[in-house]
Amino acid sequence: MKSRMLFPVVLVAFAGTVFAQTTLNVITAGDQNMVDYVNNYLAPKFEAANPGVKVRAVGTGPGDAGSQKIYEKLSAQQKANSQEWDVDVAVVHQLASATMVNEKLLMPYRNDVSVGKLVSRDTAKNALGANVDGYVLPMFHSQIVFAYNPDLVKNPPKSFQELNDWVKKNPKQFGYNGVKGGMSGVGFVTGWVSAYSGMGDKLEKGPYDPSAAPAIDKALSGLKEFNQYVVMTPGNAGTLDMLNRGEIAMGPVWVDMFYTWQADGRMNPKIKLTLPSPGLPGQPMYYVIPARAAHAALAKKFIELAESPEVQADGIIKQFNWYPGIDPQYVQPKLDQAAWNKLFTDISPADLSKYGRPFPLSPYFKEITEGYERVVLK
Amino acid sequence: MTSSAHASAQVLRGRGAALALIAPALAVVGIFFVAPLAMSVVVAFRAKDGGFTLEHFAKSFDLYGTDLLFTLAIVVVSTLLIGIVAIAIAGYLTLGEHPRTVAALRWLYRWPLFIPFVVAGQLMRTFLAKNGMLNHVLIGSGLIEPLSAQSLLDWRGIVIAFVWKQAPFVTLLLAGAMAALEPQHIEAARNLGARRLAVLIDIVLPQVRGTLLVGLVLSFVTMLSVLSVPLMINPNSPTMVTVDVAYRISTHADYPVANALCILSLLLAAVGAVFYLRHAAARVEAT
Repeated sequence: MKSRMLFPVVLVAFAGTVFAQTTLNVITAGDQNMVDYVNNYLAPKFEAANPGVKVRAVGTGPGDAGSQKIYEKLSAQQKANSQEWDVDVAVVHQLASATMVNEKLLMPYRNDVSVGKLVSRDTAKNALGANVDGYVLPMFHSQIVFAYNPDLVKNPPKSFQELNDWVKKNPKQFGYNGVKGGMSGVGFVTGWVSAYSGMGDKLEKGPYDPSAAPAIDKALSGLKEFNQYVVMTPGNAGTLDMLNRGEIAMGPVWVDMFYTWQADGRMNPKIKLTLPSPGLPGQPMYYVIPARAAHAALAKKFIELAESPEVQADGIIKQFNWYPGIDPQYVQPKLDQAAWNKLFTDISPADLSKYGRPFPLSPYFKEITEGYERVVLK
Repeated sequence: MTSSAHASAQVLRGRGAALALIAPALAVVGIFFVAPLAMSVVVAFRAKDGGFTLEHFAKSFDLYGTDLLFTLAIVVVSTLLIGIVAIAIAGYLTLGEHPRTVAALRWLYRWPLFIPFVVAGQLMRTFLAKNGMLNHVLIGSGLIEPLSAQSLLDWRGIVIAFVWKQAPFVTLLLAGAMAALEPQHIEAARNLGARRLAVLIDIVLPQVRGTLLVGLVLSFVTMLSVLSVPLMINPNSPTMVTVDVAYRISTHADYPVANALCILSLLLAAVGAVFYLRHAAARVEAT
């Protein structure tokens, strides 16, 4: 009696294994929207195209800390000398990708996938000064830009120099969130230092040179004066809030946050974007494949799908308002004009590739943010 | 066995049982409070090579000296204002002569008690902004000109949020203590012609001073540790030390300086603890 009752259970379990023999493990740093993106958008598409495969996505939390957890997991499996690692695809930030490549935790795969040829930006090769060529493909780019209210600002400043003049004529109309209230403020500060130290390339590409410190401090002392004419906002969302309420006329914001707010009706639809010279930082997140991923071949297929112009158009741009990971020229034909216009009206792809810069190398990054506390805030 | 040996054995057994009874509590305190505190102290004084150093404290003072002073100033000002608001509300609840107003006030004043700090921060963020609700009301009622509207989202916003959130707590304690007073004292003073304010200051307050002090000290220590309110209202310089601690950890993964800052704010809190212990000790001696 008992065994007869057990039989259907065994059958069902067996059938389950037949129809989903393989589980593709995707692990992603970042906010919950990253996990949702994989589970709700990518996974159904991939499972439909590959019967018998189940995609399972796990999130490790926002920011570099999330990527650090992925690094620790892979590193532990490497040290335990296990032959098959339980992560097939990982989505990580730049800083962690550099460490992972350095410690041989990743598999070079860009030349094995057809979409590898579709990437154009420098970030596919260089992650905060580290050479990651071949090991990564950008999932998306996000970018810090100036958002401004065209009713109040007829001719937005085209450079940091023009911004500096503008705030003196229009005091308390520019707002940003310092270095403790989120990355849009940090990005503005590193952008300022790149512009005023004249060392943009060096800060971004290295090699690290401690003797650059006085030039950084000098650029920051200009920022101290600049700060007297601006408003400090409480956080990334705080800048958007104040713009929306008309309390400031201009400020640095993340593009994807801005468009998401506008799509949700939380942001005045009139507000526009501009990207000043010599640029503001942005960052990609990367798809990577661990060196001993259990299902490397499937992982490559998964990334083929995720980087395909169709998915980049519909998922990355239309649904999440990120800039594409691959070259926009391959994505444009797959997008309707309205969606394309929405993302690229204010900032053209040409401007984006010219003025969208990476964050400085991590030792410079630390020097700039600490210098800000030492020079600007005291 | 002599009777004295028997007695001492009993005492010993009693002591063993007592120790066994408090062991779980002691273990919890030891593992979850004392040990992390000790580790925090160790990290704050440990150099990269493992030796003793004061460099983390030097850096704390160098970068965050202003913030330490700012934190102290904000918390002290807030504590004073909380005291005044709490005395005013509790005083009216005790001495008020209009039953409906007293009932309404009694019902209203406790609301902020049930609202978390983070929600209070969020409320203030929209309420106190330049084009926020407060200024809209003030402009709409003609009290201020639109051009003179300014944002209160700086130190004032933090103080307002703290007072709004903590005053009901102190009021609750204080009103309880006032209700427990002998009503004859108040009635006698009133019969002799004392005005209500004089009764409050000369008769009621001296008798509930201890409760007021305890409530204020607890608020002082609570406010020192709040991260959400300064983070949401004004995370930029100068700001409160809690924001700096969070920043050192989340952006720089710099635990030594974060721990040094924690120890410095612990010292500030210790001032409150000394007050508290003195008063608590005085009360034990008095009974």
